[in-house]
Parts: sequence; C-alpha cells; structure tokens
Amino acid sequence: MRSTLLVARRDYLGYVTAWGFWLGLLFTPVILGVFMLAPALAASSQPVRYFSVIEQGETFTKAIRSELDAQAARRARAALDPVAALQGGDSDLLAAFDTARDTGATVEDALSNVSGGTVQTTLYDFVEVSSPVSDPDRLAPYLSGDILLDTPEGPQELFAALVVSPGSDTIQYWSENLQSRALVDIARAAERKIAEDRIFAAAGVSSRLIDEARDARRDVVPQRLRSDPGQQASASEVTLRDRAPYVVSIALAFMLWFLVFSVINYLLMGTIEERSNKIFDSLLTSVKLPNLLAGKLLAVLCLSLTLVAFWTGGSIAITWIASSNLPPEVSEQATIILSAAARPDIVLPALISFLLGYLMYGSLFLALGSLCDTIQEAQTLMTPLIVMLMAPLFMLTFAINDAESSMIAIMSWVPVFTPFLLILRMPTDPPLWEVIGQLSLMAVATFAILYLATSVYRAGAVHGAGVGDVARFFKGILPGNGSKDS
Amino acid sequence: MTDTVPLRMTGASKWFGGFRAVDSLDMHVGEGRVVGFLGPNGAGKSTSLRMALGVLQPDTGTVELFNQAPNLKSLRRVGFLPEERGLYKKMSPRQIITYFARLKGLSHGRAKARADELLEMMGLTEFARSRVSRLSKGMAQKVQILSALAHRPEFLILDEPFSGLDPVNQQALEALIVEEHRQGATIIFSTHVMEHAERLCEQIVMMARGRKVFDGDLEQAFATLGRSVRIGVTDGFDLGATLRPLGFEAELEQDAWKVALPQGRGPQEVLRASIENGAPVTSFVADEARLRDVFVSLVSEAEAEDLTTTLADDAVKAKEAA
Repeated sequence: MRSTLLVARRDYLGYVTAWGFWLGLLFTPVILGVFMLAPALAASSQPVRYFSVIEQGETFTKAIRSELDAQAARRARAALDPVAALQGGDSDLLAAFDTARDTGATVEDALSNVSGGTVQTTLYDFVEVSSPVSDPDRLAPYLSGDILLDTPEGPQELFAALVVSPGSDTIQYWSENLQSRALVDIARAAERKIAEDRIFAAAGVSSRLIDEARDARRDVVPQRLRSDPGQQASASEVTLRDRAPYVVSIALAFMLWFLVFSVINYLLMGTIEERSNKIFDSLLTSVKLPNLLAGKLLAVLCLSLTLVAFWTGGSIAITWIASSNLPPEVSEQATIILSAAARPDIVLPALISFLLGYLMYGSLFLALGSLCDTIQEAQTLMTPLIVMLMAPLFMLTFAINDAESSMIAIMSWVPVFTPFLLILRMPTDPPLWEVIGQLSLMAVATFAILYLATSVYRAGAVHGAGVGDVARFFKGILPGNGSKDS
Repeated sequence: MTDTVPLRMTGASKWFGGFRAVDSLDMHVGEGRVVGFLGPNGAGKSTSLRMALGVLQPDTGTVELFNQAPNLKSLRRVGFLPEERGLYKKMSPRQIITYFARLKGLSHGRAKARADELLEMMGLTEFARSRVSRLSKGMAQKVQILSALAHRPEFLILDEPFSGLDPVNQQALEALIVEEHRQGATIIFSTHVMEHAERLCEQIVMMARGRKVFDGDLEQAFATLGRSVRIGVTDGFDLGATLRPLGFEAELEQDAWKVALPQGRGPQEVLRASIENGAPVTSFVADEARLRDVFVSLVSEAEAEDLTTTLADDAVKAKEAA
C-alpha cells in the first residue's frame, strides 16, 4: 500500500506541477463556455436577410409579415422576461407588452415602450422588401448577388424570393442558400393560415369565428403521475422540478465522459515516458506490478478530482458572487437543479459509474502506453479506443430527446458504454434489477479489463513487447495465419 | 544454522518464444564477494540478472535472493542498476534519489538526507535541484547509480555499470564499488570490459550463448589457458630438440621459441633446464595471462561447440527430411 501511495504521489505531483495541467484547468471551462454560447452568439450575429414576394395582390405577403411579427413578438417577450417566457407564465412586463401590441403598436415600439429602451435584441431574421422585378425569370442576378437591392439600410443582397403564381398548387421558393430552411418554414405557416381562411370562408365561416376558433385552441400540457394521492390534479403538471433530473443526468454523463476523456491522456503519456526512459526495471525491483498500476491509476484519479474540485468550487464561487444580482426566479430554478443533482438515485450510480468507467478506460490506456515508445506509435493503437469513447457522446443526443429510448436502454448493457448511459437512464426510474445488473456487469467487465490490462502492461514493461507484437498477435488470430511458434 | 547467501540460482533457464536466452544456469554469490558477470553481447547476462531480481520468472530452475524467492522484502536489501538507463527527466537528482530510497523503505527525512549525502559524495550538490534533462549523460548515470545505493543495500546488482562512462567516471565508479565492498556489500556486476573485472573481482562467472562457461576465481580462470614462456637463443640452436626429452614442447615463432608449460611445472624450471643443457639463452619472457585471453578462449570454444551442435542438428533434420 505504501508503495502504491508513493507511486501515486510522485505521478500526481508530476502532473500538477506541469504548466499544461493548469492551462487545461483554467481554459477548459472557458472553451466549454464558448462552445455552449456559440449557437446563441452565432444566432445573434446572423445578419438580417432580405426577401421578396412576387404575387398578384398582397394576401401571401401580409400572411408572411404576420408570421414574422408573431416570431418577433415571441423573441421580445423572451428578452423582456426570460424566466416567465420560458415557463409559459405571465408577468407585469409581459402583460404590458401584450397590451401595447393589442393597441396596435409594432413589436419594436411595444418592446421599447415597456422596457424603456433598455432591452435590445434581434427581433427579425428576415425582412420583406418589394421585389425588384415582377418577372420571376429576371430574379437570377439579384439572387446571385450580382445586383444588390436598394434598401433603407443601404444596398443588400437578395437572400430569397417567394413566387406565388395564380393557378399553381405550389409556391416557389428561390434562393442560392440550399441549407437554411427557416424562411421556408415561415412561408409554410403563412400558407397554412391562408388556406384555412379560404376554406372556412368558402364554407361561410366568418373571419371573426376563424379567429375565435384559433384563440379557442387548447394548449397541450404535459402531466405526470404523482405518488402522493393527496395532491391536487394541477400538481401533476410537469414542471422544471420534474425535468431537472433529466437535465442533471445529461450534464453528469457529459461531465463524466469529459473527465475520463481528458485525464486518460495523462496515463498514456506518463506510461510512454516511463517506457521510453527505461524506468520500468528500476521500479519493478521496488514495487509490485499491480501496486505500480494501482498507484498510477490513483494518481490520475486524484488529478480528475482536483479538476472537479476546482471547477465545482469555481462555479459555486461565481454563483455566490452573482447571486445577489440574480432575480429570485432564477435562484429558485438553480436551487431546483442543484437539488436534483443531490438525489442519491442519481449521484450514487454516477459515482460508481465514474469510478468503474475511469478504471476501465484508464487501465486500457495504461496498457496501451506500456507498448509504445512514442506518441506516434500510440496513435496507431488509440483509434479504436477513441471511437469506443466517442460513441457515448453521440448517444447523449438521443437521451436529450428521449431518455427512455430503446437504443439507450439496450446500449447501456454494453459495459464499455454503461458508465455514461446508465446515468442517463436513472431519471426514468428503470427497474432495480436492471440497475443492479448493469452495475454488476460493468464491475465484472472492469475487473476483466484490469486483469487483461495488467497482462499487457507486464508484456510491455517487463518483456518489452511493442506495437509490432500487437500487429503480430492480430495477424496470428486471423484465419490462415496461425503461428507455428509455441 | 544456514548461511545467508545473497544469490543462488539453480538450473535457471529462460526462453523467449523459441529462443533460449539462459540455459540451466547455476550461480552462487557468497556474502561479501565481488563477482564479475562476464559475457559477450547477447550471452544472457541481463536476462539472468533480471531473473535474479524476480523481474523475470525462470521457466525452469530456482532463484533465491537471501535464501528466499525474490520478493519485495528481499529486494529491499538489493540495489539495482539496470542495463537500460533511465530517469524521470522532469525530476531533479535529489527528488529521484529520494523517491527510489522511499520506495525501498526509507522514511522521507532519511531518504532526503541520504540523497544529499550521496550527491555531495559524487560532487553533484550543485546540480541537486536541476532537472535531469539538463544534466550530461555521465551525470545522469551517476544519479542512477546513486539511486541504486540510496537505501544502503547489502547486495548490489549492477548491469553494465561502466558502459557510457568516460575514463574519469569509470575510475570514480570503480572507487565507489571498492568502497561499498569495503563496507561489507556483496556486489555482482556484468561487463564485457575485462580490465574492470580483473581489478575488482574475486569471482568470475562467464556466460556465452546463454550457458555458463566458467565460474571461479581469477587463478582458476588463468589456469584454463595453457601457460607458456618465450625463450630467445642464438641463431641455429635447436631448443625444441633439447627440451623435448625433458617433457617440454617448444616451437619456433619468429625469433623466439614458445615453450608450453605442462600442468604443475613452472617457468623457472624450463629456464633452468635450457641453461643446464647448454642452450645459449639471450632472452626469457614468461607470458602474462590476461582475463581477455581467457574470455576469448572460453567464449570461442562455447560458440564453436554451439555451432557444431547446430550443424549436427541441422544434418540430422536434413537426413530425416530426406
């Protein structure tokens, strides 16, 4: 035990005294933050796009303007009171905004009046402008950007044109941008309303009745069963408190994956250094090989705990500093999320998963490092492991949409994926036998991998086996390539 | 009461796939001895030493370190310098020596004090806190040797300790070995530089092609070579004809007669016999035996024998195939 701790201490100090560790520790949250904010930043920096409608009359043009206004109003409400807008609730600010809109104010004016000009946000992604030509066949130079539109904001490129031809059963959408579907969706929504209005009018339904019918649509509110029969019916409505475990489990699974992915490299590099520096023999006359491996794994485990401690401590400190400026609703939501993170049925499997997952992948990378003299050699063997480690990341996207997806349920039985996928399943209350079964299978697999990794490590560290031996091994097990050696 | 034997290997063999690295090695290293473990490259010296340390397990035979199978307890009494030198490049000499001393059981305080003492002894105090990557190769090697000595081992196993050292540092290492021996340590070191072995060793073990070809002291080693004297006489005198009836074989080589000494007969005897029988002796030189000659002779013999066996085996196989 003493030698294990000594090896762990040396390795740990070696890692934390390297400037690269501190660089990673400080910059990882920044880089992750940038990645998380990137979609929002990209959306806000998206330039306004100009489009035209070519039609006889203005029916479609008005419908599409109305759709754009509705979208702008939703954005204005979200900017005015994000918490209330997100929860579908109401507030004084939102009520004032709606009143201003009802009295005929534009979205910009209503937002400006209610917020006193303090809230600035992009309300419109698309602006409708008069078509520069009436003949669709002459749109080409505008759409290709050869000729610019004359707009109040100066010369602009025509992003798209919608052509509504009399007698045609389609609306043509012309654009050189083949990927963006946002304006197509808006046009479809506008056309749906026009079609409804036309058909109802033909059936003799007045426009007032049509508006009433639209306003009378009932909202679909997700509910869930409560174990407490004494609770009121309204208490079954799905709230953030219900969704929080799912959010937390996804966050924990990602964090676990990220931790494992970031720290196993230390194991790989440390072992390659020892092999290339020919230190194994000196070490093996002082420490038993299993103790040496245990020390190395313990060192990197402590390293990952150091990262978690710093990041968690930093987050708590920032939250504490910022808490005085946060609205009470936001503080309340943060408390709900934190409470979910403290649930034993999530935290316990998460801790076991992290420990076993780390041991599983850590020992594999240790074994790999013991076979390689250089990083270049390691890279040839790393690819299958990296692919294996990337798979759970893709599965996280399934879990975001449906944590009860059968794919997650099936894949969580594969021991190398269990550490990440079992956590995702925990909020769905999987049967206890499944949880115990998956944890047990994962534990058995971890010990089998540890045993195998120890053998490989012994071959690399003691017998000097290398990448060439791995290639020979795989060639040997291929049909028709059986080795004649004993 | 059983004597403590630092190292005893009995019939130890090691195979790597189809290659026999060590074949039935018997070796006994008595307490307080300095043993030279000699052999050409690939003779199986390092494999034997790694078996002695328990790093490799013998396929057959047994290894005992201080009368027990090598284990961490017995290994704590051993200091080992591996053939392939290596240190943690980002650590300082002081940190490395302290680390290895602690792994061998010393407390943190004692390990540090010992590291300082050893570094001062080898004139490395100035570099005690430098990174190993900044040291010269010779200095780094000294640090590794000090790491092996840090816990004051009773038994030192040094695999090619002189390789890579300049003559000054080789001399310093020789002095260190002598000093450790003077303080009671048992030492075995492998080398293919015979001069070191001649100067330092009380016992020589020679390996060739995985087999032990000699085990004994220097006298016994020299005895394996036929000794001779060279006698110069005035032109025309047939010394061979004069000495043959007296039991000496002599042949003319360039300007002197080389007389082989039969077992138990000394150089003085042949000189006396020549003069008494009227030989006009002009010069007399007793050939000085060198360990190098013993080494070359024994290794060549073993390799020739091995080659003969291989050829014979091949012939049998060819016959069987036919």
